[in-house]
Amino acid sequence: MDGESWNAGGAGRRAIATPLPSPVLELDGVQVAYGSVPALEGVEGTVAAGEAVALIGPNGAGKSTLIKAVLGLVPLAGGRIRVLGTSPQQARREVAYVPQQDTLDPQFPVSVSQVVLMGRYRQIGWLRRPSAVDRQATADALEQVGLAERARDRFGTLSGGQRQRVLLARAIAAQPRLLLLDEPFNGVDAVSEQALLDAIAGLKQSGSAVVMATHDLALAHLACEEVCLLNRRQFGFGPPQATLTPERLRATYGGHALELRGDRVIVAHA
Amino acid sequence: MNAAYQLLIEPFRYPFMTRALMELLMLGALAGTVGVLILLRRLAFMTDALTHTVFPGVVIGYLLAGEGGIFAGALVAGMATALLLTALTRHPAVSEDAALAVLLTSFFAVGVVLVSRESGYTADLTAFLFGRILTVTSGQLVQTFAVAGAVLVVLAVLRRPLLVTTFDRIGAQAAGYRVGLLDLVTNGIVALVVVASVRAVGTMLVIALLIVPAATGRVLSDRLPVIAVAAALLGASAGWIGLAVSYDVSLHHGLRLASGATVVLVLIAVYGVALGGGAVWRQLAGRRAAHPGSVHEASVMTGDVGVR
Amino acid sequence: MQLSAREAMVCWGRQGSAIRAAVVLASALMLLGLAACGPSDSSTTGGTGLSGAEGGGAKLRVVATTTQVADFARNIGGDRVEVTQILKPNVDPHDYEPSPADVQAVADADVVVDNGVGLERWLDQLISASGFDGAVTDTSTGLQIRHGDGGEEEAAGDPHIWHNPQNALIMCRTIAAAFSNADRADATYFAARLATYMAQLTALDTWISQQIDSIPAEQRKLVTNHDALGYYIDRYHLTFVGSIIPSFDTSAELSGKQLNDLVAKIKSTGVRAIFSESSLPPKTAEAIGRRAGVRVEAGADSLYGDTLGPAGSSGATYLDMERHNTTTIVTALKG
Repeated sequence: MDGESWNAGGAGRRAIATPLPSPVLELDGVQVAYGSVPALEGVEGTVAAGEAVALIGPNGAGKSTLIKAVLGLVPLAGGRIRVLGTSPQQARREVAYVPQQDTLDPQFPVSVSQVVLMGRYRQIGWLRRPSAVDRQATADALEQVGLAERARDRFGTLSGGQRQRVLLARAIAAQPRLLLLDEPFNGVDAVSEQALLDAIAGLKQSGSAVVMATHDLALAHLACEEVCLLNRRQFGFGPPQATLTPERLRATYGGHALELRGDRVIVAHA
Repeated sequence: MNAAYQLLIEPFRYPFMTRALMELLMLGALAGTVGVLILLRRLAFMTDALTHTVFPGVVIGYLLAGEGGIFAGALVAGMATALLLTALTRHPAVSEDAALAVLLTSFFAVGVVLVSRESGYTADLTAFLFGRILTVTSGQLVQTFAVAGAVLVVLAVLRRPLLVTTFDRIGAQAAGYRVGLLDLVTNGIVALVVVASVRAVGTMLVIALLIVPAATGRVLSDRLPVIAVAAALLGASAGWIGLAVSYDVSLHHGLRLASGATVVLVLIAVYGVALGGGAVWRQLAGRRAAHPGSVHEASVMTGDVGVR
Repeated sequence: MQLSAREAMVCWGRQGSAIRAAVVLASALMLLGLAACGPSDSSTTGGTGLSGAEGGGAKLRVVATTTQVADFARNIGGDRVEVTQILKPNVDPHDYEPSPADVQAVADADVVVDNGVGLERWLDQLISASGFDGAVTDTSTGLQIRHGDGGEEEAAGDPHIWHNPQNALIMCRTIAAAFSNADRADATYFAARLATYMAQLTALDTWISQQIDSIPAEQRKLVTNHDALGYYIDRYHLTFVGSIIPSFDTSAELSGKQLNDLVAKIKSTGVRAIFSESSLPPKTAEAIGRRAGVRVEAGADSLYGDTLGPAGSSGATYLDMERHNTTTIVTALKG
């Protein structure tokens, strides 16, 4: 985590790990419909190991839908998705999802370390006791998000940003090859934001691919090798420098007023 | 000490009292444990609806096969409800509250109509609604033990999937857990416990036995295993004390107190003590100091104490 | 940080706690079960007589279900018995829910006396729960049972057997036999008390006959909705004219037309009085009385139908009850 610096305005650093021969995620003409209503179409792109892609678009653009499709939770109306060379359902063991922390009940009687341990349940199964390996993975994951000292506290006593970090730790504990995050930086304080970025970078270093839906264009610029512009259909897929252009952004967001300030792009929503 | 013995041990030298005690201990422990599931999954309203929808099943079972038919009738009605509820709530257009309210009232009305057609119905109605604990048979005890055993085994085996799907439904779905199936299993378990409890404590009082011990456990602790054990112990103890009190009052003071009702009153009293005592405990223990370097929102601090 | 007491509990509870708790609970329950379901100890069940109570020992423990049979039991048993009465005055026998005291009384009883004819539906469960293994003394044995009113509750016949004093004689004999069987030492005592009481019953029977005979023949009609007086009516050759008076909801008032119809029907019978089991709305009672020219005897206290009255009332014992009923009926019908 230390030693890496993020160049403001520069492209994100490429992952050090050797890329695998085939991409972790392949999207090929992906089409999703709810009944007869099309939700997404024409989504194309690949994500290699150690790379991160940001899904960018307004509310209702289909970012969550695409994530659900990659998880195998919604059927495709057209095209195909390949995760680690197989179908999303078959690749589930290698995929981890990080939801937004505000969907969870803060009163739930569970500790931080128990939440992270949940990430290991697939490995542990229903009946077996958690092994030393499981406990170590849990501890390591908490270490990576910088919350090891809060392990015994009730999950709900943490701040929003801290809870988001715990959910990321839960995903990390599963040691996934593909990580999916849904708006991970929403409502998160600066310290937690940095911790999240550091942990994600660490995952990329060890060869995982990352897909994150986000509103934050600057973070997308900083943390991701590629961005995917979505608003019911794809408006671009490629490196941020090339893809996050005013014209494309205007097209994606439906032609509203736009400003560029240094490396930040301000988009006025309807 | 003698008074305590007189109250709590002495009545149980009679086999009928011991059988009643066994039944209440088992039901109390079972309902307490399952109550934790109900609490965490926010199924209280559905559970209340279930206690009303098993009623016509109880009546029909009794009409068809006498005392022995009550369990079977309630079971059929309970399973039907569990299935219907699970199916209805998956439909996006149907609000869960509305579906429950419709099922609850219609089933219960059918039950009342059926009961009132019989001329000598008042005693039976009272028994269905408030239970009959003094005439529990050994056969019933075996049935209850079987149900309790089965439910506890299922809960033990499925504890991790249940935990994950209750805590984070979306995340669980993403991880591939069959949330719909687990919903059905949970609803089925709750229905089964309601059915098992109906003969002894009646449909109206089951809900208290299911909810209050778990709620009390939640007040007492933040740790799930502790809550579950506490709820089971509380349910069982309330059964014991409630039964002993109603017996004592009947014998030595000539008052008739339905045992189901005394059990519930004991539960409520303990809950009240826990609420009051919990607040005092927290004040005395002091709260965990703010951890250096982490950000606390004001709401987190206030959320940690006081009324849940 | 958490307090150490809590931490200790948590450390125990943390690992596989649900399984562990379930196992502990189950074992505890099974141990309790083994203790409980053991053979019932001798101190709790009676029913086979007082083995160690030959003459001058403990009293015979009797449980009687209804107010009437309890009264008979006390009269016959005197101070050699201890009677526990289950149903209190004015409690409906059909809807009765046994209390723990009742179950315990039956568990400890030597003799259980009931009315029979399906009146006490709850008795079987009560007996089996209590573990009483003796025979229940059914006082309706040997009696001629009238047909029931066709309802669910009277499937076995009309249960109000006691209102005929001649039936009461037989019931008391049955009770005396049961007592003597259970307590042979006091058989003579019971026989003597039986003889005394039977004399009183016979005298009552004679007196009622005389009273009824003093009513003009055409007035010996009972316009009533009481369903309990069937045996009395049969014994004393009264005519039952029922179904005229509906069962009144105490708060409901009759409409003008309903009132007219009722008055017309009453007038057509030519009686001087009507008897209603339930209380009539005061205005209605007054209107009927005035317009039909009849005396209205209404409410649970005018005639004792299903149960004896409470202590201190005019119907607290069987003899009192029958005298009171007779006096009320005769006075009303004689005009």
